[in-house]
Amino acid sequence: MRKRFLECSAGVLAAAGAAVVIWTWAAPQVKGQDAPPAPPQGGAPQSITPQNGAPQAAPEGRGPGGGGKGGGKGRGGKGAPAVPAGPVRRLPDGKPDIQGYWNAGGGGLFSIEATDARKKIGVNAGKGVVVDPPDGKIPYQPWAREKEIDLSENHTIEESDAHCYTSGIPHMVEAQSSFQILQPEGTAGYVVMIWEYMHNYRIIPTDGRPHVLPSTVHLFAGDPKGHWEGDVLVVDDTNQNARTWFDIAANFHSDQIHVVERFTPRNENQIGYEASIDDPKVYTRPWKAAFNINRNMTPGYRNMEFSCWEGEHDVTEKYTLESQGADPSHLPKK
Amino acid sequence: MRAILSFWGAASFRGAASFYCAASFRGAALAVTLALPWALSAQTKSKTYEPSRLSDGKPDLNGIWNGPPVVNGDLQGAKVNGKRVIVDPANGKIPYLPATAAQVKKNFAERKQLDPVNHCFMPGVPRLMYMPDPFMIVQTPGFVGILSQFMHEVRNIPVDGSKHLENIDLWQGDSRGSWDGDTFVVDTTDFNDKTWFDAAGNYHSDELHVVERFTRSGPTTITYEAAISDPKTFSRDWKISLPLTLNTAKDAQILENECNYKMEGPTVTEGTRPDPHREAKN
Repeated sequence: MRKRFLECSAGVLAAAGAAVVIWTWAAPQVKGQDAPPAPPQGGAPQSITPQNGAPQAAPEGRGPGGGGKGGGKGRGGKGAPAVPAGPVRRLPDGKPDIQGYWNAGGGGLFSIEATDARKKIGVNAGKGVVVDPPDGKIPYQPWAREKEIDLSENHTIEESDAHCYTSGIPHMVEAQSSFQILQPEGTAGYVVMIWEYMHNYRIIPTDGRPHVLPSTVHLFAGDPKGHWEGDVLVVDDTNQNARTWFDIAANFHSDQIHVVERFTPRNENQIGYEASIDDPKVYTRPWKAAFNINRNMTPGYRNMEFSCWEGEHDVTEKYTLESQGADPSHLPKK
Repeated sequence: MRAILSFWGAASFRGAASFYCAASFRGAALAVTLALPWALSAQTKSKTYEPSRLSDGKPDLNGIWNGPPVVNGDLQGAKVNGKRVIVDPANGKIPYLPATAAQVKKNFAERKQLDPVNHCFMPGVPRLMYMPDPFMIVQTPGFVGILSQFMHEVRNIPVDGSKHLENIDLWQGDSRGSWDGDTFVVDTTDFNDKTWFDAAGNYHSDELHVVERFTRSGPTTITYEAAISDPKTFSRDWKISLPLTLNTAKDAQILENECNYKMEGPTVTEGTRPDPHREAKN
C-alpha cells in the first residue's frame, strides 16, 4: 500500500507542485471580465508593497517588518503614483472597517526565514520575513534543523500546498493571491477572510469566545479566535496539525504550534501583519514573522474559482484501481 | 460518536456510503457542527415570518446552516418532512431527455468510481447546499460568501448588479446575487459538465443554469429553492425545494473536512509513515 501510494503520488505531486509554482506567476492575469488585467504599476522587481495583483515580490524581497515601518502612505512600489491613503475606515460601531481585497507583501513564500541560495531546491537567497530573532533565522532545535534540510531536499512532494490542502497559519496569509476580508453584521461578530488561492478561508469570531476544541483535534489552519485590542485585530490560533509548511523550503512546525497574529490597520490601504510563533517541540524560543498587507487597488477585482484538486486524473486512477480491488503492490509503475 | 455515525450513514444510504462513513471517522471534530442542527430543526414555517434584518433592511441570512443530507444520497427519492424534494414536475422525477437517461443509469451503476465527490472534487450547485457538511453564509451588502466545511469550498456571490462572466466553465459556476423583496436570489451559469446533483448519478451538461431562492421561513430555517434548466440534458425545467436549518449550538463553528487528505493518508512529514528516502539509503 505504501509503495503503491508513493508510486502513484510521486509523479502526481511533482506535477501538482509545478502547477502551483506556475500558478503563482500566472494567476494574477486570470481575472473576471470586469477586472481587466492589472496595469504594471512601475513596481520595481523587489517591491514589497504590490497593490494591484501584479506579480508580487521576488523571493529576495523582505517586508519592512511589523514595527510600524513602511506604513503611512499606502503607496505601490517604486514609481507608483504617490496617492496618499486616507485614514482607517470605520464601521458604525467604531471598529476598523478592513473589508475589501488585499495582497500580502513580504517575501517568505519560498523561504519564510533568511536563507542563502539553495539551488538544490530552487530557493534564492533572501531575507525572508522573520523579524525576531534579528538574524532572520527560525530558532530550530538541532534535530529540527536537520529535519528541515532533509524534508526540503528529499521530500518536496510532501509540501502540503502541492496536495491542495488547506494552508496553515501564517502561510495562508502570505499566499500569493489576493484575499477578501468581510465583516458581516451580527451579534457574534466575525471577521471572515477568503483567499482565491486554494479557496482557503478563515472564520474568526471576535466576540471573545474561548477555544473549545480539545487538544486532540488538529486542523490544517487551526482554530482561530479573535478579539480587538483597540484598532488591532488579534487572532489566537491553536489546534493546527503538523502537516503544513511555512514555505517551499520545508520550514515546518509540530502540532504544538501556537500562533498569535496581530492585524494592525495603518491607513485605509495598509494593514501591518505580525505572527508570533511558538512551538516548544521544534524551536528553542518563540519567533516572529511580519510583513505588510496592502489593499488590492485593481478596479472591479474579484476572487475567482481556484480548482486545485479537481480534475486530477491520477487521483481518479488511484481511486478507481483501489475501488476495483487492485493489489497496490502490483500496480504498474508510472 | 455513534449518533454521528448513524447520521452520516443515513445521509448516504444510496450513494457514497462507504467513503463518507470512513471519512467521518477521522473528524471527531465534525461532531461539534453536525450533532445539533437537525435535533433543533424548528417546524415553524410560515409565509408571514418576519425575519430579523440587517442595517440595510435585508433579512439576516448569516449563520451556520445545514441542508438535509438525505438529499445528497438520491435527489429523486429524497423526502424531507414527508415531502418530495423535487417539487416540479409533480411526479418528482427529473425530466431527462431520452438520450441522456441512459447515462444516469451508467452513472448509478458506476457511482463509486464516477461520483466527483468521491474524488473530493467540488460538489457544484445546488449539491453543495445539501452535502452532509455544514456551511456558513456570510452576508454583506455587496457580497455574500457561502463557505462550506466540505473541502473548504467557497461560493463567491457578488450582489452588485454585475453580469456573468462569458466563455468560461467553472466547477461551481459563476454566481450573481440579487434581492427579490425578502428573498435572496442567486443566478448561476458558466458551469462545467463534471459535477453531479447527488450520489446517485443525476447529472447535467455545461448548459446548466440554476436560479436559487433563499427565503427566511422561521427563526432557524431558510426555504431553499433551486430552479434547474439544461436543455441539453432535460426535456423541461425542474425545481427542488428543501429547508436549510440554522445551527444554534452556542459554540458551533465550521471545522475542516479535508477530503483529499483522508484519501491520501498520513505522511512522512508527520512521522507517521516510514520515510522511503531513508529506507533507500539504508
